[in-house]
Amino acid sequence: MAEFVSRISVVCFAASYLVALLCEISRLLFRSGIRGAVMIGFAAAGLIAHTLFLVWRAANEPAVPLSSAYDWYLLAAWLLAGGSLWLTVANPRTPIGLFMLPMVLGLIGAAQVSSRSPFPQSPATQVWGAIHGSFNLAASVAVAFGAIAGMMWLIQAGRLARKQAPIQGFRMPSLEKLARFTGRSLDIAAWAAAAGFVSGLVLNAVNRRQGLLETIPWTDPVVLRMGLVVAWLLAAAILVRTTARRAEGPRTAAMLSLVSLGVLTLSILWGLFGPTRHGVPPRAVVVESHS
Amino acid sequence: MTLAFVGGSHHTVPMALRERLAFSADQAAEALRRFRERFPGREAVLLSTCNRVEFYAAGEHDAVPPATGQIVDFLAECRGIDAAILKPVLAGESDDAVARHLFSVASGLDSMVLGEPQIVAQVKQAWSLAQENNTAGPLTSEMFQAALRTAKRVTSETAIGRERLSIPSIAVADFARGVFERFDDKRVLLIGAGKMAGETLRYLREAGARDVVIVNRSAARAEDLAGRLGVRAARFSDLADELTRADLVVSTTGATEPVVTPELYCGIESRRGGRPLVVLDLAMPRDFDPRIGSRPGVWLYSIDDLGAACNANRKARQRELPAAVAIIEEETRRFMGDLHHRSSAPVIEQLRAGWTETGDVELERLFRRLPTLDDAARREIRQAFERYAAKLIHRPLASLRSESHSGPPHGLLDALRRLFDLKD
Repeated sequence: MAEFVSRISVVCFAASYLVALLCEISRLLFRSGIRGAVMIGFAAAGLIAHTLFLVWRAANEPAVPLSSAYDWYLLAAWLLAGGSLWLTVANPRTPIGLFMLPMVLGLIGAAQVSSRSPFPQSPATQVWGAIHGSFNLAASVAVAFGAIAGMMWLIQAGRLARKQAPIQGFRMPSLEKLARFTGRSLDIAAWAAAAGFVSGLVLNAVNRRQGLLETIPWTDPVVLRMGLVVAWLLAAAILVRTTARRAEGPRTAAMLSLVSLGVLTLSILWGLFGPTRHGVPPRAVVVESHS
Repeated sequence: MTLAFVGGSHHTVPMALRERLAFSADQAAEALRRFRERFPGREAVLLSTCNRVEFYAAGEHDAVPPATGQIVDFLAECRGIDAAILKPVLAGESDDAVARHLFSVASGLDSMVLGEPQIVAQVKQAWSLAQENNTAGPLTSEMFQAALRTAKRVTSETAIGRERLSIPSIAVADFARGVFERFDDKRVLLIGAGKMAGETLRYLREAGARDVVIVNRSAARAEDLAGRLGVRAARFSDLADELTRADLVVSTTGATEPVVTPELYCGIESRRGGRPLVVLDLAMPRDFDPRIGSRPGVWLYSIDDLGAACNANRKARQRELPAAVAIIEEETRRFMGDLHHRSSAPVIEQLRAGWTETGDVELERLFRRLPTLDDAARREIRQAFERYAAKLIHRPLASLRSESHSGPPHGLLDALRRLFDLKD
């Protein structure tokens, strides 16, 4: 069993998700009685392989979830894949996977080009590091869910405005449900991102007090971009709340959720390819203590 | 001939005559009992709906089903109608055409509304009635089971019955449900009392709507309608207030000018608190000025908009027709193949019995010559003989089954009888 699990690679679950996505796309082209079962089968197989892969890494390598950028992206992809499967089973006539699986594959792709080096840890900073990573993860996943709901809202509203009957196999949830989901996702994303940012500051302060950092890196590009993302998400959440009792409110929320995903994507790309000291061991002592 | 059919539907029989020809459940049961007495040994199923009356008969060997003329006379006698009136409008079919027709009927392909699903239940009821009255037998049971299987395949493998075709059902299921997740917390406002109001309200209630208010220019008529529909009545002068509180409006007045103008709507818009408003304007001419549809949060659908969606759905059903016909053809071929294969059963049985008998005689002879064989060895030898016989008979059986797809395999059966000296 252990040997079998050790042979699971990223390609295994990425390929399963890709087949599930192709099944979703084929909904638009032709009807099939067994497609739903095939799609759920591949998505479930991918999720099981993905879970086993993460568990194996946590058990056999110094790579518990969130311990490196690589693991962080894979965990975010796992959460989205799980959400996608759950929503697909609960709403079989809605093409949830068509929206969520590309994000899952995108995050797996981001993991492949991100650093696998563990974030610096010491007993004192481990807790704050986990809190910081968890809040950022929650914020990112909430932004993704919100953007998908927002995109669906715009598609559904476009269909209703054009006065067209729903396309076979492409039935969207109601505007009421989507608007509620979008608003809540943006709320969660804003508060989680703010908590993630604050916990990051605390983490830096702890590092400094322990002599692991000379100064808090306020001007580090990652700190700046995270600050911008938090500011944007808070502003978006406030805007959604203030327009909630206006007729344009749901459309505004849908647009803001999509822009939030764009802001987050840019931030991730910046993190992947831009200069940063984020996650780099501040001093040799930390590396030693970790190793 | 093994299967026979006589019947007429909305395609050929005028409504007045259909009404006279239609059978109630009791009348159908009585007709089946009478058929059993008059044509013993034959099977029969009577399908009577508001759009069709069809009589299916079946029989084999010395109990072949009655001829078309006899069935027409029988139906005429049962309903007290001159047979001469029925003969020009009732059609008769035999064998594979009967199966093909029944499969089309059960799949909704012969219905007034293409793909309508209620007919499956009616076909099932007709078959149950025949079973209760002992006129269903192996042939009709096999045919009706195949018909229900075909209908299921058509439903699951094509989209022929999936799209809605009535304006109220489309209005609620495809548009109102696209905006609202639930209706039990929504206020529904009926303006006027056109004929589509009641049906739309029925769909809304099925969707969960509870809070319904009706306004009409005539307060007395509003009260009367409210009583009949089980809703609350409000004064027409309160229309603006009711519009403010409403989430969904169904408007069906006979007014010649818009009842709700942009000025009226803009006057209440700010008081609605941004809640979306779905308007199903089923009146002709329209009750809502179309400019209201461009206001934020308003989803306005006129009868023309909904009619266009209806037509699109109708066309979508038509596009599925070739796929449904292909399924019916496939199932008809399969059913007729099985039916023809049944006719070879006595010959196969005789063949098998003859070989078994010869095998048993030879085995007994062998065991007498080899008395030292123990029980296990005897069992092994007996099984080897049985396997050998089964393998020998397999090829003739496969040839018979293959030949059955293109009709009764008379030639092969005759050859087998002559080759193996089998009796008829």
